[in-house]
Amino acid sequence: MFAKLSRTFKSGWKNLIRNGSLAIATIGVITITLFIINVQGATVFANNTLLKEVESRVNISVYVNTEMSEAETLKIKSEIERYPEVKSVEYISREDALASFKELNSDNETIQRAISELGENPLGAALNIRAYNPDQYQAISKKIEASSFRESVLEVNYQKYRGVIENLNKEIKSNQRMALTLGITFSVIAILITFNSIRITMYAHQKEIEIMRLVGASNNYIRLPFLWEGIFYGLIAAIIAIPLSYFYLKIVATGDASGSVLPFSNSRFIQSFLSGYFVENALWIISSQLFLGVLLGVISSVLAIRKYLKI
Amino acid sequence: MIIYENVSKIYSSDSPALMDVNLRIEEREFVTIVGASGAGKSTLLKMLYAEERPTRGNVYFHRNNLVNLKNRHLPQHRRQIGTVFQDFKLLPKKTLGENVAFAMEVAGKSNAEIQKATNQILDIVGLSQKIDKYPGEVSGGEQQRAALARALVNKPKVLVADEPTGNLDPISTWEIMQLLLKINEFGTTVILATHNKGMVDKLQRRVISINKGRIARDEAMGKYCI
Repeated sequence: MFAKLSRTFKSGWKNLIRNGSLAIATIGVITITLFIINVQGATVFANNTLLKEVESRVNISVYVNTEMSEAETLKIKSEIERYPEVKSVEYISREDALASFKELNSDNETIQRAISELGENPLGAALNIRAYNPDQYQAISKKIEASSFRESVLEVNYQKYRGVIENLNKEIKSNQRMALTLGITFSVIAILITFNSIRITMYAHQKEIEIMRLVGASNNYIRLPFLWEGIFYGLIAAIIAIPLSYFYLKIVATGDASGSVLPFSNSRFIQSFLSGYFVENALWIISSQLFLGVLLGVISSVLAIRKYLKI
Repeated sequence: MIIYENVSKIYSSDSPALMDVNLRIEEREFVTIVGASGAGKSTLLKMLYAEERPTRGNVYFHRNNLVNLKNRHLPQHRRQIGTVFQDFKLLPKKTLGENVAFAMEVAGKSNAEIQKATNQILDIVGLSQKIDKYPGEVSGGEQQRAALARALVNKPKVLVADEPTGNLDPISTWEIMQLLLKINEFGTTVILATHNKGMVDKLQRRVISINKGRIARDEAMGKYCI
């Protein structure tokens, strides 16, 4: 059993080496396929993480009139806290709002000057509302619009976030579709080319196969070298594709985002995500790439064996 | 023991390759099959190593009906039958030794076993000096002897030789014939298909003549006559 395995293993490897440029082309196509799948996977993963991140940061800010006293605002706060969808309400006083606004624009002199020239605090107090579930913000926003304290409220800023999330969702959907289309298309091409290479190996070994049958080689003994050949193509391709996608993602993550031609590097968040993505998921990425490579090879081998190897 | 029972093989209906062949070959027999090209000699032999199946009738090998042989049992069956052909069928990129060893490798034998048996069988066919030569570097007669060694290395019960001397000069032909007789003496059944009249007449063994797919003559001490 072991002798058979090692003998077919060796002849499978020899077949690959003797295929020369054809072997290189085959490995190249599988490498490109695995690379594309990996990079597209990273994009989809990054976008999903971005969506979750945005969703977790979503809240409704209710800005109250500057004339409202603190006591009145707190009354509104306790009323909102009674809504069943609401997880928490954070009160931000006029002073806190101003301080954080100043800090946010610390490098903008015009704004700083304008505030100091104004003399008094132009900002009203705010209530930051968090729901248990991101889906509930719309309902909360509607309740506030219909509430008795509607007159005291300056602005409810839910709509802004809704647009962002909807856009992001749309982008993710189209991104996933593209990733899937690209992945499947290239997989099919890779399988066809590998299939063809193995077929050519079989053709070159016609005489050997004939003799093997005559001297009573088992069917598996005749088939195994071609199966190994397919597995080798996939494995070698994966071994090349893994560092390739690592360096590619690294370049994307550290490159200048604004001038980039890369489709998904336009977000700083995704950049920072990608810089850690590969290392954090190394085990998963490497094993899935090896698995995919071998899978592509095995599918090609099995197809070629079934179609062309008459035993 | 080999029995052909009402065997017919029909590729096209107007000229059957074999028609109602009945034949019995005992163990350790040396049988020569003669006949014009296309008479059905090769088809008859192919049925024995199950390369072809009869359209009608049965072929028994040691009580097993080869008509019912399952594909997965085919390799096991073929290891009991050694084959040599007119075109030698040696692998050009392997040495003579490797060619012989190849037959044992595919049967899953251990390396030590393979080396021992290879040396032994090459010695018997007189090629121990040429073990590391490639087929292209030796004569036709030597190539056929290597092919014979490969056919015998798994110790088959039957040796099937389909025109083994068709490409050889008279001296090489003589050597191969002597080897076949020697192999037969060792206890292997030999079934030989040939065109070589001089050889057949000299052998003084059983001769089966085939004409247009039918057995025309079957003589215990036959002559080449078609």
